Amino acid sequence: MNDSTNRIITLARHEYRAAVRSRILLVLLGIVVTVTAVSVYIASVDYAGKLADYQAYRAAAQANGLDRIAPSPLAALSLLRGAMEYLEIIGAVIAIALGYLTVSRERANRTLPLIRSRPVTSGELATGSLLGAVGLFATLVAVTAFVGVICVGIIGHDWINATQALKLLLGYIAAIVYMGAFYCLGAIATAKSRVAANGLMIALGIWLIVVLVLPQIGDTMDADNQVPGGLFKALGLNHDGEVQILTHFTTYERIRTWTEEASLAKHFERFAFGMTDVKERYRPYSLPWLLGQTRNDIGWLVAYSAALFAGLRHSFRRQPTIPQGGTQ
Amino acid sequence: MIATIASHQVLSLRRQRVFLALLATLLTMTALAGVLGWSSHHTIVRVYDEAVKLLASTGKPAPPNPFLLKPTLSLLSNMVVYIPLIGALLALILGHLSIVDDETNGIGRLVFSRQISRTNYVLGKITSAAGVLAVVLAASLLVSITSLLVVNHTVAGADVGRLSLFYALSWLYLMVFALIGMVAVLMTRRRSIALLAAMGAWLVITFVIPQFTSGLRPAQSLNPITDPASTSQTFFKITSKLRPYSVVEQYKQASGRILQTATSEPLASTIQRVLPIAGFAILLALLTIRLVQRHDFSRSATSE
Repeated sequence: MNDSTNRIITLARHEYRAAVRSRILLVLLGIVVTVTAVSVYIASVDYAGKLADYQAYRAAAQANGLDRIAPSPLAALSLLRGAMEYLEIIGAVIAIALGYLTVSRERANRTLPLIRSRPVTSGELATGSLLGAVGLFATLVAVTAFVGVICVGIIGHDWINATQALKLLLGYIAAIVYMGAFYCLGAIATAKSRVAANGLMIALGIWLIVVLVLPQIGDTMDADNQVPGGLFKALGLNHDGEVQILTHFTTYERIRTWTEEASLAKHFERFAFGMTDVKERYRPYSLPWLLGQTRNDIGWLVAYSAALFAGLRHSFRRQPTIPQGGTQ
Repeated sequence: MIATIASHQVLSLRRQRVFLALLATLLTMTALAGVLGWSSHHTIVRVYDEAVKLLASTGKPAPPNPFLLKPTLSLLSNMVVYIPLIGALLALILGHLSIVDDETNGIGRLVFSRQISRTNYVLGKITSAAGVLAVVLAASLLVSITSLLVVNHTVAGADVGRLSLFYALSWLYLMVFALIGMVAVLMTRRRSIALLAAMGAWLVITFVIPQFTSGLRPAQSLNPITDPASTSQTFFKITSKLRPYSVVEQYKQASGRILQTATSEPLASTIQRVLPIAGFAILLALLTIRLVQRHDFSRSATSE
């Protein structure tokens, strides 16, 4: 290993250790793990009942000598939908909090100028900090994945196979990249603010828009969601009629799609839901086909993360190299 | 003395432009709900026109008017989501700043060197937060009425009454979060930890408790109207007993009844939904008063 790699690893270890010493962060992590366990437990209990019904139907059909038995409509991985949604919403808040603590801790301890006075480049500092944060996110994701898979196996009576495990792994890698992007956002906003708490507020404001408001606007603008029970159903139209009418709404649908596409959270959600069989239309297809279908979301996820990492490097480069007065 | 402290706090919030930021954000959010409502109205009209043409070409009768299926105030139904999401976060920050600045700037030490009782001090702080939220929500009410006028060209007196009730309920709900922001500062030593702890409480109230009591996933919590899980699962047989204390669910359900966007229920049931929110606000106010009595204002909290 060369000197630069050593410095990056040292900074990453420092970041990881400092993060796990923060009690408030540990409480937030505990909340995600607990709530994921509850969400998967609830879904698994329901799933176990449906699986037993399907197996009873299958046994009866075989006993009657039927050749063609309908395949199971159930998907064990879809039980992890709640787990993915919690990473999308609360995971992003944790990532912002960690990014904020990275900068505010070093500022409060006046160690940021000390680190900058050493032969450490802003790129090494940004990479080391991000790697430490990614290590923490990987730990969080591994714990939630373990809890989820065990719940599905023991309570839902359905253990996931190797292909499903691979899809789940890809979904969770996307979650780590997604949280890494929000970590960069939290650190950039804090580094650019004179008072660290103001930076946190700005980052949380952006989180609110990207994670909660934009996806909600997209859903609200869906023509079929305009009246309870569905507008097209209320007008007595079937699927063909709906498709025919929507041809007159291309601009409207384009605006709705753009609104959703502006949200990093929506891209993560689409990819993660594709990997965890949440969307029924994706279930029959193989992994390469799924990756092809979600390539746009993968591209946006990577592009947003790369841009925010570049921003993090830039922000660290502009941090003062001599101690500042007052409370900085 | 309470009025002096409250007016000083309001002046401080105005000078820091927090008041302006709160007002601008809440009004933008209300206007956004109005624009989405207008878009919804426009879409229904266009879909209906196209549906009439399509059905006529196949010799079928015209479908029923979809506006009969849509309550007038459903135009603003997104506000029921924005208040617990955006409004509650803003209220947290308002409550946080009301106390934290006195700690970091040393104003707390100066104030208590004068003949001011701690009860008057905290009541002044709570009054200022209540006043700021009331002004901001009153402005939102005006924007909502304007949105209704723009889209429907008329507003019934009963609808104005319902909207006023909805904003009164929203004020009560936001007061809960302003008080949480204050309590978090009084219970922690660092400014940043206070803000994160208050955020943690917001996450628990908005997303975690509804998951436990009603099986609502986070994405479901973003819908204005939510159906709680049935109590057939043993888990919910136990946790659903706590559902009346899930303030975010009670707020959404009561708002849905007030705005007539949810299935109607007797007035007494809606009042029962509001009571836990009021009770929670009173408990938090008492806790804030108690914590201020014991708080050591002689030490300045670190600004980080």
